[in-house]
Amino acid sequence: MRIATCVLVTYVLLVVLGAVWMRLGFLAEAKPAAAVMAAAYLGLTARSGVAGAVGGAVVIGYLADLIGGTPVGLTAVVCGVICLIGHLIQRRILVRGLGATLGFAFFVGVSAQLMVVLLRAVFSQPMAPPLRELWFVLLSGVATAVIGPAVLRILRRIDAAFARTHRERDAALEGIAP
Amino acid sequence: MTLRRRVVDWVLAALLLVIPLVVLRSSLRAPEEVSTVDEAVLRVSAPLQAGVSWLVDGVGSLWSRYVGLIDTEDENRELRAENERLRRDLAAERRRAFDVEALEEMVGIKQRTPADTAGARVIAGELSPFYRVVRIRIDRGAPEVSVGMPVITSAGLVGRISKIYGGHSEVLLTTDTQSAVDVVIRRSGARGVLVGEGAADAYRCRLEWLERSSEPDGEAPVQVGDIVETSGLGAAFPAGITVGHVASVVDKDYGMFQDVTVKPAVDFGQLRGVTVLLAPPPPPDPDAEKKRRSESAFGLRPY
Repeated sequence: MRIATCVLVTYVLLVVLGAVWMRLGFLAEAKPAAAVMAAAYLGLTARSGVAGAVGGAVVIGYLADLIGGTPVGLTAVVCGVICLIGHLIQRRILVRGLGATLGFAFFVGVSAQLMVVLLRAVFSQPMAPPLRELWFVLLSGVATAVIGPAVLRILRRIDAAFARTHRERDAALEGIAP
Repeated sequence: MTLRRRVVDWVLAALLLVIPLVVLRSSLRAPEEVSTVDEAVLRVSAPLQAGVSWLVDGVGSLWSRYVGLIDTEDENRELRAENERLRRDLAAERRRAFDVEALEEMVGIKQRTPADTAGARVIAGELSPFYRVVRIRIDRGAPEVSVGMPVITSAGLVGRISKIYGGHSEVLLTTDTQSAVDVVIRRSGARGVLVGEGAADAYRCRLEWLERSSEPDGEAPVQVGDIVETSGLGAAFPAGITVGHVASVVDKDYGMFQDVTVKPAVDFGQLRGVTVLLAPPPPPDPDAEKKRRSESAFGLRPY
C-alpha cells in the first residue's frame, strides 16, 4: 500500500512537474529525473523485500515514459536499476540534511542520464555529439538536485503516514528510515 | 527473511527488470504502436495534464499581470522620457526636411529663372491677430538687394522688398493694402491691378480696374478659377509670374468694372525660403535668328 501510494503521488508529481518545468526558461532544457529520484527512494527504504520496490520503481518509470514521451521502457529500466542500487547501498549511506540530499539527488540525476545514454547506445539509437551528451548529463544532475529535496520530503511524509509506530514515523521524517 | 525467500525476492526483482527491457526493445522497433494499457494511462493523464497546465498558466498570468508589474512604473517613466526625446528628434528632422525642401525649391527657381536671383531664408514674420502672416523678413539686405525687388517662390509671387535693415529686408506681401501689382488674366488677357485687402483672417487680394465685357453675349474676361499673373507693365515685376487664381466674381449691373477677389498662389504661412529677383532678365536678341554678314572694312575683304 505504501509503494502504491508512492507510485500514485509520484505520478501526480510528474504531471505537475511536466507542466511547470517547461515554463522555466533557464532550466527548460534540463530534464529533472523525478521518477528516478522516487525509484531511488523506494530502493533506499525497501523494508521487507526488494521485489516490491523494484516493481513500484518500474511502474513509476513506465508512467514517466508515457507522460514524458520517451520510448516506453527506457525510464522504467533506469528506475528499476537505480532502485536496486539504492537497495544495495541503503545500509551504507544516510541521506539526511540539505547538503546530503542535494548531493544524492545530483548523483541520481547524473547516473540516470548516463544510463539513458548507455541504453541508447546499446539499442543503436541516434546520439548527440559526446560533449553535448555530457552537457545534458550535467544539466540533468542539476535539475534533479533542484527538485530532489522536495521529492524526498513528500515521499518521507507518505512513509510517515504509513508508519506503524511513533519511532518509525519519526525515523521516516528524519530521513533515517528504515 | 529466509535464504529461500531472499532468493525468490531477488529473482522476482530481476524478472521485473527484464520486463521493461523487453518492452523497450519492442517500443524502439515499432514506436508508433500504442498498447491498450498505454492508451488507458494516457487517457487518464491527458485531462490531468490539461488541468495542471491551465492552473499553471492562470498562476503565471496572475504573476505577469499583477505581481510582475512592480517594475512597470520605472519602465514606464523611462519609456516616456525616451518617447519625448524621440518626438523632439522627429520634430527637428521634420524642420530640417522642410528647410531642405525649401532650399531645393530655391535652387530649382534659380535654374529656371533667366534673371539674376538670390535665395533668402525667411527669418521672421509679423502675424495678424488671426495668426495670418502680414509681413515677412528675410536674411538678405544691402548691398545685394534693394527696395522694390520682386520676391517669388516656385508657387508664385510673394511680394517685393519694402525696407532694408542692414543685412535684412522686409517684404511687402501681395495681400498688403499698400501692395499694387499690374496683372493680367492668363486665359482672356484682361488687365487689372491687384491690390491687397489686408484681411486679418485670410490671404486675399482684390482685382481693380478690370473692365467688363463690352458685348452682352461676349466671353467673360474673368471667371472663377482663372489664373492671374504679372503683366510686366510698370517694370516693377517681370511678366508671367503667377500671382493667384480668381476666387470670386461679382458682376454688377452698373459701372464699368467688376469686383473680383483673388486668392494668392503662395501660402504665406508656410514660407521658409524665397527667391529675390535681383535684375530683370536680359531682353531677347532680335537678331539672334538672322545670319550676319561681315562688311568690308577699308575696301578689303576678309579671306
